[in-house]
Amino acid sequence: LPLAPARRARLAAAGFQTAQELLETGPCGLSKEIGISKEEALEALQVVRQECHGDAARTAGGSGATRKFTALELLEEEQAQGFIITFCSALDNILGGGVQLSKITEVCGAPGVGKTQLCMQLAVDVQIPECFGGVAGEAVFIDTEGSFMVDRVVDVAAACVQHCQLVAEAQQEEDHLKALETFSLESILSHIYYFRCRDYIELLAQVYLLPEFLSEHSRVRLVVIDGIAFPFRHDFEDLSLRTRLLNGLAQQLIIVANDHKAAVVLTNQMTTRIGQSQSTLVPALGESWGHAATVRLIFHWDNSQRLATLYKSPSQKEATIPYHITPHGFRDVQPPAVTQNAEGTEMNPRKRPRREEEKQ
Amino acid sequence: MAAKKLRRAQLSQDLCERLSRCQITTCQDFLCLSLLELMKVTGQSYYEVQKLLCKVSRACAPKMQTAYEMKLRKSVSPSSAFLSTTLHSLDRVLHGGVPCGSLTEITSPPGCGKTQFCIMLSVLATLPLSMGGLDGAVIYIDTESAFSAERLIEIAGNRFPDYFDSDEKVFCMTRSIHLYRELTCCSVLQRIMSLEEEIISKKVKLIIIDSVASVVRKEFDTKLQGNLAERSNFLTRGASVLKYLAEEFSIPV
Repeated sequence: LPLAPARRARLAAAGFQTAQELLETGPCGLSKEIGISKEEALEALQVVRQECHGDAARTAGGSGATRKFTALELLEEEQAQGFIITFCSALDNILGGGVQLSKITEVCGAPGVGKTQLCMQLAVDVQIPECFGGVAGEAVFIDTEGSFMVDRVVDVAAACVQHCQLVAEAQQEEDHLKALETFSLESILSHIYYFRCRDYIELLAQVYLLPEFLSEHSRVRLVVIDGIAFPFRHDFEDLSLRTRLLNGLAQQLIIVANDHKAAVVLTNQMTTRIGQSQSTLVPALGESWGHAATVRLIFHWDNSQRLATLYKSPSQKEATIPYHITPHGFRDVQPPAVTQNAEGTEMNPRKRPRREEEKQ
Repeated sequence: MAAKKLRRAQLSQDLCERLSRCQITTCQDFLCLSLLELMKVTGQSYYEVQKLLCKVSRACAPKMQTAYEMKLRKSVSPSSAFLSTTLHSLDRVLHGGVPCGSLTEITSPPGCGKTQFCIMLSVLATLPLSMGGLDGAVIYIDTESAFSAERLIEIAGNRFPDYFDSDEKVFCMTRSIHLYRELTCCSVLQRIMSLEEEIISKKVKLIIIDSVASVVRKEFDTKLQGNLAERSNFLTRGASVLKYLAEEFSIPV
């Protein structure tokens, strides 16, 4: 051990035989036993600890140990982090800018309310170049229900490219035009990596292989799992196994989200909870699954209007906003005041104010 | 995929033997255990077990395709993507017709014409490709005993009089519509499970189930406690098999 010989002599005199005993005593105990100051004891212990850990690290092949951050470093990291916009400004507002990277977002809703539409929109939006306000990433789409329609993604991507082209024309900047050269329909489609999982074993296998896949394709910034409830809701007699597998899945996804700075979006189904007097719709997969996602959105109907509610979020407050699914994807509801060409134009409502200013 | 034996996942022989002593023979058993249990069973270190996990996962994980490849594949054969219903406004709303490769559900109050629609679709599916059909056989699973062969011939004769001018053509069409009468949930499920081989051997291009709700409502009373779970179990199991068949063979269901 690389300690000063005098100190070593004192340790031997006190009866310490192995490094393990030293570590077990702790600095205060050590200082009392040998008669050295607390700082010196701490120093000695740290040296010993490094030696021991050096051996352990060599045998384990090095693993990502827990990292410590100060809150300030975390703040800087969070502020520099990008968001994936959804093209629905109301939804982006209640989410605090859009879907956050490195966090798990869960979207729950009844069938047909628009969860897969949102996922397809996000898979296109994550690829928006940085000069237009996007994160310039690629997307992994894991489909368990078979509801991914390529033609629909083509429509959404075409609308997105058109929107960016209009922005570039309005602003006429160098990097905008350069970015547009690579941001085309073909490139968007070829950067959506699609996996079709038929049952929960394939889903588990795919999630275990995700870290490797993401290291190879380091530009992936979004992982969508469309229908995490579907393979787990049938054919499962052993509910405890299901809970255990779901927890393991959640842990894996958190690791993936943090290590690769990717946003993870899951879609969940709704189930009916039969209470004392009435039954309510709640997200499926049970209470313990509710802890897996950081941000939870619930989509529901109100007469014929689709609403999105932010149900759980660490930084934003609860809010409900209406949204629309148009031929061009996920959009805001048109406000009634600006409806002159509402049927005619199929533009993103966020663009409307600028165009009207130009006309004026 | 999940029931793949571990032996075929390229694990070493003695490892397979060791695992089979603990009754772990398929990929499914392997992946269902937690890391600690795997370490205990295989007797290897944490790092080694993670590598084993990756190996086994690779054996059952699905293949990757980019959305672009999917689009190219679809655009190669555009006409086979939909079965046109010959109702123009309906086709327009559905973007071409009943989509091949996915499940379509038709619901309505009684008497609106669901069974008639199904019968018409069966006729359409047997038509040759040049007339907008799928040129194949049809599997019709009937739970309400509402299928009438006479009505089938009537529709065929009146709708396409030039095509069905000879008796032989009519016989040909009726021969390719396979009708199965199932009256209980179990038999429906069994029938769905056994469809895979029939689809290949009879060159089936359309599956119709008329109707799912009737047989389920007959057998499962939702007021009884355990029945709700059993019912959804049955439904989701049937649905996932049907989805698999629809996607695998690119046929409408």
